[in-house]
Amino acid sequence: MDANLPTPAPSRRSFLRSAVTVASGMSAAVAALSPLKELESSDIPSLDEFLQKHYLELGPGEMQAALERIRNEVKKRWDVDAVVRDVRPKEGVEFVYALNLSRCIGCRRCVHACVAENNQSRSPEIQYIRVLEMPRGTIDIERGNHHYDRPTVPDALHYYMPVQCHQCANPPCTKVCPVEATWTESDGITVIDYDWCIGCRYCEAACPYWARRFNFVEPEIPAEDLNPDMSYLSNRPRAKGVMEKCTFCLHRTREGKMPACLEACPVGARKFGNILDPESEVAKILREKRVFVLKEDVGTLPRFFYYFDERYPRPADEEAAALAGEDGK
Amino acid sequence: MRFLIPATFLALAAVFVLDARRGVALPIPPAAGVSKADLFLGSPRVALTDPPTIQNGSFRQTCSECHALFPSPEVPRDPLLQHTHIALDHGLNDRCYNCHARENRDVLVLHAGETIGFERVPELCAQCHGTVFRDWQDGIHGRTTGSWVTGSASLRRLKCTECHDPHSPAYPRIALLPGPNTLRMGPQESEPHHGVPENPLEKWKAPHGAASGQPSEKH
Repeated sequence: MDANLPTPAPSRRSFLRSAVTVASGMSAAVAALSPLKELESSDIPSLDEFLQKHYLELGPGEMQAALERIRNEVKKRWDVDAVVRDVRPKEGVEFVYALNLSRCIGCRRCVHACVAENNQSRSPEIQYIRVLEMPRGTIDIERGNHHYDRPTVPDALHYYMPVQCHQCANPPCTKVCPVEATWTESDGITVIDYDWCIGCRYCEAACPYWARRFNFVEPEIPAEDLNPDMSYLSNRPRAKGVMEKCTFCLHRTREGKMPACLEACPVGARKFGNILDPESEVAKILREKRVFVLKEDVGTLPRFFYYFDERYPRPADEEAAALAGEDGK
Repeated sequence: MRFLIPATFLALAAVFVLDARRGVALPIPPAAGVSKADLFLGSPRVALTDPPTIQNGSFRQTCSECHALFPSPEVPRDPLLQHTHIALDHGLNDRCYNCHARENRDVLVLHAGETIGFERVPELCAQCHGTVFRDWQDGIHGRTTGSWVTGSASLRRLKCTECHDPHSPAYPRIALLPGPNTLRMGPQESEPHHGVPENPLEKWKAPHGAASGQPSEKH
C-alpha cells in the first residue's frame, strides 16, 4: 500500500458505525465488570492481611500483629471477644487417632461437636467428619450411606465408620499445593494457613479420604455459636474461597486436652494420644489390637487407625445373628 | 451484516448485567442447629457411691440398714418383692448373689468369696469379661476424657458401671443427630427419599416444603 495516498475523510456513515460499535463494546465491558459493584468490604482483604507473610515466616511481632488483626475482625463481625492464639507443636509428640469400629454407634455427636468447636460454616454446612453407615460384612465404602436416619442407633444390621482427615505421614494434599499454604507440622498435624491459601482446591482433589472442605461462600456462623477459643492454624473463622480441614483440634490437643470429637463420643470409640509415648492408649492399641488404615494401597501412611474388638454374638445382636443365619454365613 | 458486531456486544452486555443481578443461590437451606445438651451426653449413667445409698423418704440409708433388718432368702423370690424397678438382662448372670454379698449389701462379692467395695467394681466384672477388662486397663475399652497426657491430673477414665447398667449391661440405643446437609455430600445416584433427592445438588429440585433441609421426620 502506498503510504503517500491521502487517507479518505470518514464518511458520516462510517463514523456512526464505528461510534456505535465502540459504545456497545464499552457497555459490554462495563456490564462484564458490573459484579464488582457487589463486592462487599469483607471480600477485599485489608492491607495488613494482604501484606501478611506466610505463617512459617512470621516473626514474633508480626505474629502478634496478625493475631490482633484476627481478634479485631472477629470483634467487628460477630461482636465476640475472642482469644486468638498461636499454638506450636510440642517436642517429642506425634499424634495418632484410633477409632473402634466395634463400639461406634453412629450417633453423629462427633460430627456436631467438631462443628461447634471449630467454627465451621453453618450455612452452607461444612463438616469435617463423615459417618458412613455400612452393611455388616463389608468394608466397601462405596456401599456406605451418609444420610441414614433412624429413631435410634445403632442399627443391628449395620456398623458405622466415621471418616475425617487422616493426618497422613505421606500426604498427597500438601504436595499439590502450588503456594505451600498447607504443610505437615512436627507433631503430624497437617495444617493450612488460611491467609495464604488461594483456593485452587488442588488439595481437595488430591485427598483420597475427601477430608478437605472448601468455602464456596462466606461462612455463616451465628454469634452465639462462635467458639471464642481460637488459634491461627485451626479454628479461627475462615474466609470465602479458602480450604479448611480437621486439625485434630490442635488448639486443644497441643495443650494436653482431647479433641472435641473424642470428648463428645458417648461410647468411647475414639482414642487419641501420643504415639511416641509407649504408655499412651494409642500405642497400646497399635500393639494389642487388630488395626487397619483406610485405603492402605494408596500409600498415604495415615495417622488415623481403625480397630475392632473380637466379639461373639451378644443378646443385643439377635437381629444381626438372625440375618447371618439367613445368609448362611 | 456489519450491524451484527454492535448487536453482539449489546447482547453480551445484557447477559452480563442480568447474570450479575441473579447472583448465586445456594441449593440447600441452612443447617439445623444442634444444642449443646444434645451434643455432650456426659456419662450415660451415674454409678452408685461406695457404699451405695438409697433415698428413703427424707432419710438417706445404706443398703445394709434395711437388709440387716430383713435378711434375704437363700434364693431371691421370682418375681422380686423389692427392687422391682430392676430389669435384669445380663445374659446367664441372673443370680443376685453372683455379684452382691448376701450377708452385707454394702459390698460386692467375688467368686472366691472375697468382698470388695463398689469402688472396685471392675475387678468384679473382670471375672467374666477378662478380655474387655484387659482392654479397659490399657485404655482401649471405655471412655478416657480430659487429657491424652499419660498420668495427667485432668485425665478421667470411666469405670464399668459409669457407662453400663450392671443389671442390663448392653449399651442402650440412643437418638442420633441430624445428618449432613453439606454441598457435595451424598450418594449421587440414589433414589429420591420421600420425594427429596438424596443428592444435595438435586435437592433444590424437590417440591417446595419437601426439602426442609433436615432429615427431619423420624420413621
